[in-house]
Amino acid sequence: MQHHILESFEQQCTQDAPPACQCRCPIHVEAGSVASLVASGHVDEARKVLERHLPLAALTGRLCEGPCQEKCLRQDLGGSINLPVLETYVVTCGRPVKSFPLPGTSHRAALVGGGLSSLVTASELAKKGHKAVVYHLGPLGGYLRELSPQRLPPLVLQEAIESLRRLKAQFIEASSLTELAELLETFEAKDFKTLFIGLDDPALDPKALGLSVVDLESDPVTMGISRPNVFVVTQQRNNPHASAICGGKKASGSMARLFQNVSPGTAREKEAISETKLVVSLTGVEPAPQMHLADPLSPTPQEAAAEAGRCLSCSCLSCLPPCPFLRQRPGIYPKKLAREFYNNIITAFGNRSSNRFINSCAQCGLCGQLCPNGADLGQFVDLCRLDMVSTNHMPVSAHEYPLEDQVFSNSPAAAFLRHQPGTSESTYLLFPGCQLTASLPETTTDLYRYLSSHLAGGVGLWTGCCGAPGRWSGRLGLTGRTTEAMAKAWQQAGSPKVILACPSCRLTFSRQLPFVATIGLWEVLSGLELPPTAAPLPGPALLHDPCAARLDEAGQDGVRAVLTALGQEFFEPALTRRLTMCCGYGGLVDQAFPQMGELFVSERVKDAQHPFIAWCVMCRDRFNAFGHPALHPLELLFSPPEAMILTPEMPPGISKRRDNRLNFRHQMLSEFWHETVSEDPSMNLNIDIPGSVLEQFEEQRILVSDVTKVLEHAAQNGPTFVNQQTGHSLACLRPRQVTFWVDYEVRTDGTYLVHRAWCHRMTLPNVNGEGQESPASLEGFAKTGGRV
Amino acid sequence: MAYAFSKFGAEGWSCPKCQQPLQPVEVNVKYMGSSFFVELPGCPTCGTILVDEELAVGRMLEVEKLLEDK
Ligand code: SF4
Ligand code: SF4
Ligand code: SF4
Ligand SMILES: [Zn+2]
Repeated sequence: MQHHILESFEQQCTQDAPPACQCRCPIHVEAGSVASLVASGHVDEARKVLERHLPLAALTGRLCEGPCQEKCLRQDLGGSINLPVLETYVVTCGRPVKSFPLPGTSHRAALVGGGLSSLVTASELAKKGHKAVVYHLGPLGGYLRELSPQRLPPLVLQEAIESLRRLKAQFIEASSLTELAELLETFEAKDFKTLFIGLDDPALDPKALGLSVVDLESDPVTMGISRPNVFVVTQQRNNPHASAICGGKKASGSMARLFQNVSPGTAREKEAISETKLVVSLTGVEPAPQMHLADPLSPTPQEAAAEAGRCLSCSCLSCLPPCPFLRQRPGIYPKKLAREFYNNIITAFGNRSSNRFINSCAQCGLCGQLCPNGADLGQFVDLCRLDMVSTNHMPVSAHEYPLEDQVFSNSPAAAFLRHQPGTSESTYLLFPGCQLTASLPETTTDLYRYLSSHLAGGVGLWTGCCGAPGRWSGRLGLTGRTTEAMAKAWQQAGSPKVILACPSCRLTFSRQLPFVATIGLWEVLSGLELPPTAAPLPGPALLHDPCAARLDEAGQDGVRAVLTALGQEFFEPALTRRLTMCCGYGGLVDQAFPQMGELFVSERVKDAQHPFIAWCVMCRDRFNAFGHPALHPLELLFSPPEAMILTPEMPPGISKRRDNRLNFRHQMLSEFWHETVSEDPSMNLNIDIPGSVLEQFEEQRILVSDVTKVLEHAAQNGPTFVNQQTGHSLACLRPRQVTFWVDYEVRTDGTYLVHRAWCHRMTLPNVNGEGQESPASLEGFAKTGGRV
Repeated sequence: MAYAFSKFGAEGWSCPKCQQPLQPVEVNVKYMGSSFFVELPGCPTCGTILVDEELAVGRMLEVEKLLEDK
């Protein structure tokens, strides 16, 4: 994966962008962090954070007027966080940070004026080891001297000046303005590379210094004026102290650049006051009034902590709440995860410990809808999976079963395409999708019967798998072959309009086969009269939109129109339509990581008071499997339950699903098309598998057909091992990239009683079928995936 | 790379072709591009190996997962 792909995703997720207060602060103090540290009683830590940006903190921390408050998100919820009070508290109670000045340089700057901006400039330059010589008229401090001793105890100012002296700043008292005016003209001759003028000192008179009106218009970024190497900070009316601090910082930054022969305007974009990129949801935030302080100039620790506790610690986590995948570890968010996944993918030697995480995202797109910037982690995960497959790092086990299932559904045993009986062309082709025929074969038959008698122009039937599993798994080779075969079959059928019953098929068709004309089943059904069998549930239901249909508004409307026409009472869950939630089947999560799949379902059914009506049969099955009753709306049309459904109906297991697909084909071809369907070439062994063993097969994803294959092989070639003591036999076969073992006995009547079966993926020498092994890629599966 | 598999029960099983009880046999096991030798019960004559359930769903599965994250 190329790094710029990560970068562009990182830009989309602004979770850790600076909050509004920090963006508004002219020197970008991390106000939010300061507040949360004060709130938690970490005042020394708070001072550290404050001093990262605030020079001469002991002094300036008492002075800043707090322009950040203009943008604080608390503003209309009880009032902005009172940062000036918090800063005063931090610099009076927090331990000062030990500073380590850099070794001295030979660069010298002359500073004119003894006001706050000059002190700040001197401090910033001296910290970097540059020589700052401050020329002032009268006492140091400028306008600061006009403040009351409560606001600014004289000792604080004195200590600030002392600290500058310790940093080797020099203070020279000038005798007159004329002397200073002269310095303006001669500083370079006096071996100063740069000159600073801080007009926030009432002792200075611009005119007397020989400064014109133009000279007072300093550049807002560098504080430079038209004279070379001269920087000016003027006295501001708004937030005078904050402006002086900021002006001093900017000017010193310019001078430091000049000392290094860099233009003063270089790389200063981040210094500007900006609008935050962070989007914060304020829903559910209760108003909390600003703390009343007995004495704002010396807040008590309790007062400070209470005021700081009102801070919202602004950050964006809009996408997190409904997604169990994003919530699984504290402190993570899409930007962080994307970086983790990227590192996992590019690692050459280390462990790829994020493989499982990458396979735990449902790629449902909900985060993209919730994110103010549209950041969709699912799309990023898709790119990761493609990369893993292409570099042979996708774990074989993760998606093996669904891929196998896809190939099976598209094999001649299960797939077919026929025009409506008695016709040789079709206006429509019903594509029910592999899961509908597996879960609800009879209903699918009813649907076909109904559509073919209600739509003019011939309705053909086309079964198979759209290829969604392969695409979710990142197997482009398999996807390409599946798509190609489908395109060919569709063209051979005369390119009819395809009616798609499954939302995942619809999404897959639109992405992989965009040239195929399609229509959603529910748009078709909403335009037809209801079938005579149709009946609503006797009580209310919740309508669940499948995540694949998140953007399919026409489909969403279609389902609602049909339910309304039916008289079905239904409610919308809190997250619905564009914001609907995934059942955990999406992205094959539950295949790769069943526990995660379970978290998705439980998140969805958590607050559900009624049964679900889900128009994706996989959602319906998963709700039922996890104990929440659910129906597919087609069931309401063709086989409505007579009473309210109160208990979930266990969906068919993996072996039954396969049988259902086979039987569907068998039955449809013989009943509708009167074709004799060739018997499947199996040996018809009489196999007995007890129920408890079958249950265990489901868990281990062992198909009855796998076991049958092993036993057929053993019937022909003899068992692999025998056990004299127990009379059991053990047979082993590797029909695909899994080796199956079956422990069984042959009863006297010739039936095979299966005791246990297990499987593994590692290969051993001398295993029957060993020749089928191929490298980590599963792409080989597609070779058997012929269709029609 | 050597991954030792724990002991397993191969009691009572024998190779029907060679009529031999099983014994520890050193075999080359492969997965996801990695390959290593382990001792497993097998027929001392024809070399057919037995992987019992405990091994397959236990240690072997663990090692498969480890190798998948390589
Ligand atoms: S609530 Fe806190 S983090 Fe948010 S803008 Fe205000 S001070 Fe900053
Ligand atoms: S919604 Fe999620 S992805 Fe978007 S900015 Fe916020 S944390 Fe990042
Ligand atoms: S599961 Fe859905 S909401 Fe969660 S990260 Fe993946 S795509 Fe986003
Ligand atoms: Zn043998």
